[in-house]
Amino acid sequence: MKSMKSRRGGGNDRGGIRKRGPTRTDRDGDMDMDASGARAKRNRAEKSGLGGRLAGAGAGGRAAGASSRAHARKKMDDVLERAIYSLDEPTNFPRGKKPSSDLEPFSVRGWKSSKAASNRDGGVESLIAFLERRMNSFMKSGPRAKITKSRTEGDTLIAFVRPDLAGHMLRINNNVFAGAHVTVEAYTAATALENELAAADTGPNSTTDIKTRMTTILGKRFFPATKLLDLSKMLDDPDMDSVEFLNTASTKSKFFPALMKVWEMGFKTTAERLEAVESVSLAGNKLSNINPVTTLAQSFPDIQYLDLSDNNLKNSQAMIGWRWKFRNLIFLDLTGNEISSDPTFKDTMLKWYPKLQTLNNVQVRTPEEVAAQKKTPIPILPPHFIDESQVGENFVRAFFPGYDNDRNSLVSSVYDDESTFSLNVNTTATRAGQTETAGWGEYIRKSRNLDKISHLSARMSRSFKGVEKIREVFNSLPPTRHPDLIAKAEQWLIECHPVPHLPDPTGQSPTGVGGLSLMVHGQLEESVGGKIELRSFDRTFIIGPGNTPGGIRVISEVFSLRAYGGHEAWSPEIQALSQIPQVAVPGPVLTPSPAPPAAAAPGGNVAEGYGLPRPGKSDAQLQQEQMVIQMSEKSGMTFEYSEMALAGNGWNVELAWKNFEQLKATNALPPTAFLAPA
Amino acid sequence: MTAASEDTLTKVSTEAATEFVKTFYPALGLNRGSLSSYYSLEPTTILFNGNRVADGAAVQEIFTNQMSPTYYEVQSYDCQIINKAYPTVLPGGGLKPLSERGVKDMSILIIVSGFVRYGEGRDQPQRGFSETFVLVPNPSAERARGRKDWLIESQNFRLVV
Repeated sequence: MKSMKSRRGGGNDRGGIRKRGPTRTDRDGDMDMDASGARAKRNRAEKSGLGGRLAGAGAGGRAAGASSRAHARKKMDDVLERAIYSLDEPTNFPRGKKPSSDLEPFSVRGWKSSKAASNRDGGVESLIAFLERRMNSFMKSGPRAKITKSRTEGDTLIAFVRPDLAGHMLRINNNVFAGAHVTVEAYTAATALENELAAADTGPNSTTDIKTRMTTILGKRFFPATKLLDLSKMLDDPDMDSVEFLNTASTKSKFFPALMKVWEMGFKTTAERLEAVESVSLAGNKLSNINPVTTLAQSFPDIQYLDLSDNNLKNSQAMIGWRWKFRNLIFLDLTGNEISSDPTFKDTMLKWYPKLQTLNNVQVRTPEEVAAQKKTPIPILPPHFIDESQVGENFVRAFFPGYDNDRNSLVSSVYDDESTFSLNVNTTATRAGQTETAGWGEYIRKSRNLDKISHLSARMSRSFKGVEKIREVFNSLPPTRHPDLIAKAEQWLIECHPVPHLPDPTGQSPTGVGGLSLMVHGQLEESVGGKIELRSFDRTFIIGPGNTPGGIRVISEVFSLRAYGGHEAWSPEIQALSQIPQVAVPGPVLTPSPAPPAAAAPGGNVAEGYGLPRPGKSDAQLQQEQMVIQMSEKSGMTFEYSEMALAGNGWNVELAWKNFEQLKATNALPPTAFLAPA
Repeated sequence: MTAASEDTLTKVSTEAATEFVKTFYPALGLNRGSLSSYYSLEPTTILFNGNRVADGAAVQEIFTNQMSPTYYEVQSYDCQIINKAYPTVLPGGGLKPLSERGVKDMSILIIVSGFVRYGEGRDQPQRGFSETFVLVPNPSAERARGRKDWLIESQNFRLVV
């Protein structure tokens, strides 16, 4: 054990998974084959109720001694296989799912220190009788309370009851059973893992020990450079050859969920975790269905490459748990599995995984076909950003850093006593991958989703008017971190256009004043209970002139939050033009503009009224048309290209001209960009 | 014109938003021929994924003739009053006199979050969207059945997932 300890070092393995890299740490799994390890194992095998086979196998392995290690090893493999990847054991790790649809599980702890613990059965029977008695004492009528099903996990009794008894179960919490206070809680995935780790508790360090072992296994199997997590042939891993380890965390099919949990603990943020791995291999693990490893889909929802070759997967039913998972999968290898010879195999996998391109090393879909699928009836164009004197741009540049760093000053600088604000949470939003979402906490208490909040009083109390109310609500919301607007520009989609007839703060104009509508889509990071959570948001501001320090105020604002949905959805489908300058110039990018006005005929034939005021034409549009005409005259480009140049540079004439000159100098503009000689 | 209380303003604006959301989205799927009736005659900006569309008639034309079947589901929406004394312009031109203005002469900001499925069948992927509207009072004096009190002045639809 000595070398294990020294390797454990500071004991803090947070983030260690990443740092460790592909280098194989020295193997000393054998170190645990000492007396204390074996003793611990035997105790636990008995306690865990795993039955004689594991205890027997372990004992056999030990009795055999070093001379027949190969034999022991074989036996160990059998046990491992059954323990880790067992078929007959259902997935015992209820990640948010109840084991039985109509029963609710509760964990009962603390009874091990009761007087009843010395009973032959450890006190389980009298504990159950006690729980039933207590529940019945709370009830006045109805069917009698009963513990329908139960099992023990280490020092915890898992008791299953009808849902209507849930309240009564919880009331027993902290009651005294045979001289000991018992703790009764809803049994969750977290409790399960805790029990799992605690079940190994033969010494003060063993929980850490298991974690360290798992970290070691993950560390040597994670290749950060290629973003690969290679969990193939786990049964042959020498680090799995640790009796202590096996008998505890691996009992039944809990090894893998625990391994995933340890992996997740190695990352500070969800984003970092999701980005770390693109490929996972589970090849050669003798899996006959994916149940034991199903939690892979929660920890790695976005992987693109999945190798399941050389397992025993017989048909699609064996993989049904992953039917709606891995939405970004482009490569799937199931060679060496019976499922591959099923005549419907290819069609099923194509249907299950919309982005799948390579199945069993054969191309089944082209990238074009994938793109065509994603294609929406309305093409995705770059943001439409029609600003006025950079007011919108400056607002956004100041707002989000201000919201992250100093909400007090932000509120004082851009809100006034007429400003209104409300937020709403879309709790059922479509997500990117299968990322789990943290609870909405403070947001949900203030959410004004009108679909759910129907009472007038609630609709009123969830809308905030004036500097002080808005300050209060902003300060009650969790601290956030938005990505950098420039360095991470692709994570933002910001659009802007003028809006007329806003309230005039001076009251002078009967028709109101003009302002801007700003629509911002993006993501934010937030610290929830020490863990960084990633969320997506949509936030619309109506801004106009005001008596604020900067002369601009928020008139109305609605902040909409949802589970993280990525930013792929707004990456433009039309890249052709925007790619040219990426090579030619590092400066502003000429991008195709949204729908050139019909009047701007490509050949330069100007439709009647283009560039001239007419009823219904807004001042902003008129101004743009005139800018297009000037740009066209100066550059010789068609109206269409002139508008692209302007729109692509935020309607800044100088930038657009500079952009044009650079493109022209590098011959990056097609001949059709220019007007035909008259 | 007497100043409306906060209760009344909230009631009128949120009910207007609800009425709009509950009729406009189903119409995008099933009643596309009615779409132009949701729009002001001179909307300032209509955008779908960055594509500028001229007016309500053009929106209706696109949805009627160019779009696959669509199914929209609104999951969350909210609104705020932008201008509670909106200068409603009468159909014949000129501002509606102050004496004739009521609580409904307000412009409203609506933001909607939901998903859309393009194409037939539930197997189509769900695409998350966010959409922002500015609604303004309908200047028309007509009192026909189904008359809308508010019309779309601007609209910005974006797929976000």
